[in-house]
Amino acid sequence: MRCPSCGSVQSVSGSPLESVEVVCATCGKKGRVSLPAEGSSRDTGNNLVVLENLTKRYKHLLALDHVSFSLKPGEVFGYIGPNGAGKTTTIKLMVGLLSEDEGRCLIDGFEMPKDKINIHRLIGYLPQNVSFQSWRTVDHALFSFGRLSGMSDEKIEQRIVELLKLFELSHVREKKVSELSGGMMQKIGLVQALLHEPKLLILDEPLAGLDPESRFKVKEIIKKISRQGTTVFFSSHILSDVQDIASRIGILNYGHIEAFGTLEQLKQKFVSKHVLELEVDHSFSDVSFLSSVSGVDSVEKIKDNVVRIHMRKEDDSDELRNKLLVSVLEAGFKVRKFAPLSPNLDELYQAYVAVEVNA
Amino acid sequence: MNSFSLLFLDELKGFYKSKVMVFLWVGLPLLAILLHYGSSSDLDGIPLSLLSSLLVSSIGGTLASAMLAVSIIHEKERRTYDLFLIRPLQRWELMLSKFCAVYLCVGIASVLAIVLGVVVDVMQSPLGFEAVFEMIAEPFVLSLAMTGIASAAGVLIGVVSPSVLVGVILVIYIGGNVSSLPSLPLVFGMENSTALVVGAGVVATVLLLYLSVYLFNKKQF
Repeated sequence: MRCPSCGSVQSVSGSPLESVEVVCATCGKKGRVSLPAEGSSRDTGNNLVVLENLTKRYKHLLALDHVSFSLKPGEVFGYIGPNGAGKTTTIKLMVGLLSEDEGRCLIDGFEMPKDKINIHRLIGYLPQNVSFQSWRTVDHALFSFGRLSGMSDEKIEQRIVELLKLFELSHVREKKVSELSGGMMQKIGLVQALLHEPKLLILDEPLAGLDPESRFKVKEIIKKISRQGTTVFFSSHILSDVQDIASRIGILNYGHIEAFGTLEQLKQKFVSKHVLELEVDHSFSDVSFLSSVSGVDSVEKIKDNVVRIHMRKEDDSDELRNKLLVSVLEAGFKVRKFAPLSPNLDELYQAYVAVEVNA
Repeated sequence: MNSFSLLFLDELKGFYKSKVMVFLWVGLPLLAILLHYGSSSDLDGIPLSLLSSLLVSSIGGTLASAMLAVSIIHEKERRTYDLFLIRPLQRWELMLSKFCAVYLCVGIASVLAIVLGVVVDVMQSPLGFEAVFEMIAEPFVLSLAMTGIASAAGVLIGVVSPSVLVGVILVIYIGGNVSSLPSLPLVFGMENSTALVVGAGVVATVLLLYLSVYLFNKKQF
């Protein structure tokens, strides 16, 4: 790690994503850095995107605080966090609309903003609020962007036909953009982002403002292009959508990466071995037969046929689990699910964000 | 075709599509004729060509300045630039293509207004073409120089203004006054005044454009 004050190289150790206090051995300057996520490397290696200690301040507001992570080619990365967490700031730094105060962003080995033009050849970007000059028709706007991206007219024509058909928008090709609905505008925004077949697709809230059918369609398209090798980085507030399409997830809060990894990796932290979720084939009329098992602390009824069994930590054992299972079967139930409580992304998100708020 | 040419042609197409060109190319010459024929006796005896030059100098510059400032502020506010700035082009190309397109449009409007004036004057007065041409050469150069400065000031105002309202106020306060700079050699009756008019116009325009591009490059979107 290089000291931002004197430039000398300092060694920093810690676990991935840990925020570490560092004192420069040469100039004595103190600072805080987040260690890179697991799998990231100093050179881009086999990563397409590498963010290292990316920091951005708006006057006195620290919008992004030493954010580090890396993305591999072909993966779909979902970036989630509450309003004002710094998602759009991260995206704008990646595409070069903002300049960072500290850290660096590498895309396919090119560094932003030094190699901006090279990076701009590789990326497709959908801003949060997509806007075109109102006098343009859809066709004219797409042709202009295609030409500016260095495409030939024949290729642009071929891609426009292909993409408008994919998004079921062929009928709006000659319409003025000012005549389009919000959802159509969003989809045309996606078309312009995909037009030049970018290596990295950066989408800021791509599913916002779309009806359920269009959301399903766009999610399928994102999955399809990722299978074809395009890396997709997208931010969203709609957690179920992130869960549906993201291969890895990053949770951002107050400018910090709170969690980074696959959904399963993220769940590990909050999977409680002391709480079991039990789902049976019909309703529980009484759960006292479970509470009476020795070692059970309490039983919480979630639905008619679902309960959470809280076990005393000191009594938690395979033997206790077996006893519970036997009791359930003896009571005449058929077991549908019997496993440690594993949160969904909604619960996980709340947990990570709440941890930070309470800290 | 390079990015600059693409953007320049796009801007021209935008003016054409949004009918701005019609208002400029028809409006300015029409206004000059209306003033000439529908005026009080105070304007009697002033050749239409000279009136057109004066009109273009005063209105054309302000129009160019306002058009550029409002267009840039509006596009900044609506975040239209985001989709351009993430493509492999330089930021200066965006600003310069806008300047060139507006300058060309207003320049053509100026030429149309003045040529129309010359035609009417030659037909109506006993003065020959050369005499009329001599009379309007200096005001014509002045109008182009003033339009250049006003357009560059419009770009600068567009880049720095936070809202359309502030932009319009700045255009009224600053745009018109700055663009009158090249008229100083004529006001003070300096020698080689035409060359000085051209020099002042070019230098001021280049400086204003340089400052605009510098600030636009630094701008965070």
